[in-house]
Amino acid sequence: MSAISPAAPTPTPASTGRGADGSPVTLAAQMFGADFLKLRKKRGTLIWALVLALGPVLIFFVVTVIQHASNPQRYGPAGGVSNFHDGMRVIALLFGPLAALLIGVEAGTGDASAGVFRDLVVTGRSRVALFASRVPAALAMCFSIVGAAYALLLLGTFVFAGGLPTPEGSLILNGLGFMLLSTGMLCAVSVGFAALTTSKPGAIIALIAWQIVASPVLANIESLGSARKGLLSQAVSHYSPIHLPESGHNAAITMSGGLAFIVLVAWLVVFLGLGAWRTRTMDA
Amino acid sequence: MPIDDGGALSQGPALAAVETRGVTKRFGARAAIDGVDLHVPRGSAFGFLGPNGAGKTTMIRMLLGLTHASAGSMSVLGRPVPAQRAEALRRVGAIVEEPRFHPNLSGRENLRIVAAVRGPEAQARIAPALARVGLAERADEKVKKYSLGMRQRLGVARCLLADPLLLILDEPTNGLDPGGIQEFREMIRAMVEQENRTVFLSSHLLDEVEKICDHAAIVDRGKVIAQGPIAELARGGDGARDELIVGVDDVELALGTLEGSELVHEARRSDEGLRVVLAGDPSSAAQVNASLVRAGVGVTRLEPVRHSLEQRFLEVTSRLEGAAPERPTAAQEKVRA
Repeated sequence: MSAISPAAPTPTPASTGRGADGSPVTLAAQMFGADFLKLRKKRGTLIWALVLALGPVLIFFVVTVIQHASNPQRYGPAGGVSNFHDGMRVIALLFGPLAALLIGVEAGTGDASAGVFRDLVVTGRSRVALFASRVPAALAMCFSIVGAAYALLLLGTFVFAGGLPTPEGSLILNGLGFMLLSTGMLCAVSVGFAALTTSKPGAIIALIAWQIVASPVLANIESLGSARKGLLSQAVSHYSPIHLPESGHNAAITMSGGLAFIVLVAWLVVFLGLGAWRTRTMDA
Repeated sequence: MPIDDGGALSQGPALAAVETRGVTKRFGARAAIDGVDLHVPRGSAFGFLGPNGAGKTTMIRMLLGLTHASAGSMSVLGRPVPAQRAEALRRVGAIVEEPRFHPNLSGRENLRIVAAVRGPEAQARIAPALARVGLAERADEKVKKYSLGMRQRLGVARCLLADPLLLILDEPTNGLDPGGIQEFREMIRAMVEQENRTVFLSSHLLDEVEKICDHAAIVDRGKVIAQGPIAELARGGDGARDELIVGVDDVELALGTLEGSELVHEARRSDEGLRVVLAGDPSSAAQVNASLVRAGVGVTRLEPVRHSLEQRFLEVTSRLEGAAPERPTAAQEKVRA
């Protein structure tokens, strides 16, 4: 290793504070790139997110292909519209959101848990800006992973369709939109919630418990009536292009499009607002 | 090569790099920092010297806007903090406590992250900063493989991304081996002397501050007890007098000769012979020597006393208060002898 160079002057390009292109857009793009880099290099989180997003789809096709091969009279082909619907439920409502929350929590707590938040704050950059750049980076990573899972689902749907009808273009696009909405919402909410708690394990446990236990249980308590429409999962389900039952784990309560939109916005505003507030006020 | 300071330095040395007035930080009833006034001259290496728990890191955290002051006012590079914190910190590089990084990223990637937050021009400084701290060859290794000394260097490189007019370094030589400490000292001195940067360095290591810094403030229990140029601090302030160690063959005759001399403020017996406190400037030592020789005293040694910051530090901090009544320290013994 070479030694410190005491006499070598540190170059001072563009000391006026702005570079050749120091626009806010360039700065935002750089900060997004930095946050995306942090997520991309977080191998453990990425592997788990990929396993959660792609694994169930792979298992789904492997099992249904084997079933169809072993008993074609009883089990139909693994592809086609019907299986596409089942696969959509797996990705958009069950495992995709879990992958999304892992990525969101990592984005929300990564700087603090590595101890570098302080070093970013002492640059003088606004803490809210530091928080804000995490959200698009987390969404980009989340969409890359669940997008890969969706591509795998489409591939299986067409390859293993046999003689069954395949999804039309509109259903494919609506399915993609729904999957991005479902996972993106939970990812963004997770960024805010994790920044609020500042604890990665705590945030992961709380969000998983909410997503797979509390939220479905609340949705099935009929005595709660219209209050259940305030659940994030219910507002997301309104936009589902596939049929969802009115009871059970993926129960969907009927509500208007306007109300569903308001509920989604409220969840975003509350959790991103809390995350930004905590980031702005926490002792670095 | 001096740095481009955007005209800030041309506003004169009177404009301090850091200026605080009555800064106080309370945690409940306890004052971690109590009415601190600091004046850090631009273009100097300033030591913020104090024992562990004296409030050094708390002061640095307030200067950087990491925590709020309970009272008082602060300015960094001429801008009030926290009111204009963003502008004040734009040309400040800082390491607070130990430098921390994303361990799963390489050194270069860690710098890319901070450069992205600093602004587009900081990206161009990554490679030179890595070269400057001697990490260019290992910049693409993951930080989790770095030694503590390498992390300290990377921390300095991260500071350089700001092209800093002011570096604030909290206990920067912690974890460095002797060779690394020496290299670090040289780098800091080069930044100050050749590039006209200001370095504010906290430390509990007297020797380190004495070797690196031009100015210092001694802090204890949240209060600044003394501050100023190192040499002046070590002597005990503006009113302090120069002192000589005089070796003689006849102590009684020498004491008798110097008694009542207008050249001498005080003369007393010591292990070395005599300790003579001069009444005038250091040049009067020659006249003292001449008067002793004229009186027939054989002078075997004439040596100015080198005041150390350590003595001064021990005199003014609470450590001495606690230790003095029972058993004087070696430094005290030396002074009293």
